[in-house]
Amino acid sequence: MGSTMEKERTTETSFGFRTVPTAEKAKMVREVFDSVASRYDLMNDLMSAGVHRIWKSTLLDRLAAQPGQSILDVAGGTGDIALGFLKRADARPRAKTHSLSTAFVCDINHEMLKAGCTREDAEVYSRRLNRICGDAQHLPLPDHSVDAYTIAFGIRNVTDIDTALREAYRVLKPGGRFMCLEFSHPITDGLQKIYDSYSFNIIPWLGEKVANDRESYQYLVESIRKFPAQDAFAARIHAAGFSRVAYENLTGGVAALHMGWRI
Amino acid sequence: MTNNEKQAEPDPKLLEILICPQTKGPLVYDRERGEILSKKARLAYPIRDGIPIMLPEEARVLNDDEVDKI
Repeated sequence: MGSTMEKERTTETSFGFRTVPTAEKAKMVREVFDSVASRYDLMNDLMSAGVHRIWKSTLLDRLAAQPGQSILDVAGGTGDIALGFLKRADARPRAKTHSLSTAFVCDINHEMLKAGCTREDAEVYSRRLNRICGDAQHLPLPDHSVDAYTIAFGIRNVTDIDTALREAYRVLKPGGRFMCLEFSHPITDGLQKIYDSYSFNIIPWLGEKVANDRESYQYLVESIRKFPAQDAFAARIHAAGFSRVAYENLTGGVAALHMGWRI
Repeated sequence: MTNNEKQAEPDPKLLEILICPQTKGPLVYDRERGEILSKKARLAYPIRDGIPIMLPEEARVLNDDEVDKI
């Protein structure tokens, strides 16, 4: 695996089932999200029949936000995870000596961040939630700056995943938590068949009808298929320096929550 | 014009914590131009709708004079 990965990295990388020059991928992914930004949240609901909310909620359950903690949500888009983190931290009893929790939403796509600014539920948190347009491979935050790093349905779109994992490790404080939610690989053949037929037939059709963009959703489906399976991805998280790496299959492995600690 | 720009200013606490994504070095906020400057990278990162755009490919290259002034 190592040698073929190296080869791909220097010259070409995957964009769905197509192979594109590495330098081009970031731009192409950005175009996908520019194109769908305004309909992004709605499409997520339609495609997953709302299940993506349960997956994100599971991530937040495992993260168990505490008052005073900070989170960096990369590829955070309109801010689902960051807002959920702040809400949950606020719901817990807080010692007077603890400050309120804070959040950074980082996304390579400015349109997605802007779409998040208009969210009504974000208004009360506006002073504690900051948005940054940035690249997961080159984060604009110092070493040891956050308690939690999350990336939900984002790492698949990063050109060099291992660089992004090392950046996650760098910005986390010692004792900090890494959580990555991503589409993964169904754990039974039966489920895989149903999932294949749904994702290759229904999702591009939905993309065309709702977001008026079949291509972007075709990319989505293909990029999910190309993403490494649970164990292989866990090994790469471990290789980036994380300890106690684990994952949890969600909806039979349609998605997986990968976790690790920076120790 | 200045009013709009003022409204779109990022949180000072955010400006304080940001570093240059390319050099990991310190940054200087240029309030007048609404840019975030990296001396080491010789880049001016723009701010759009109050959101710092920390992407080298979106940044403006600084000339010698500008770098000296930082």
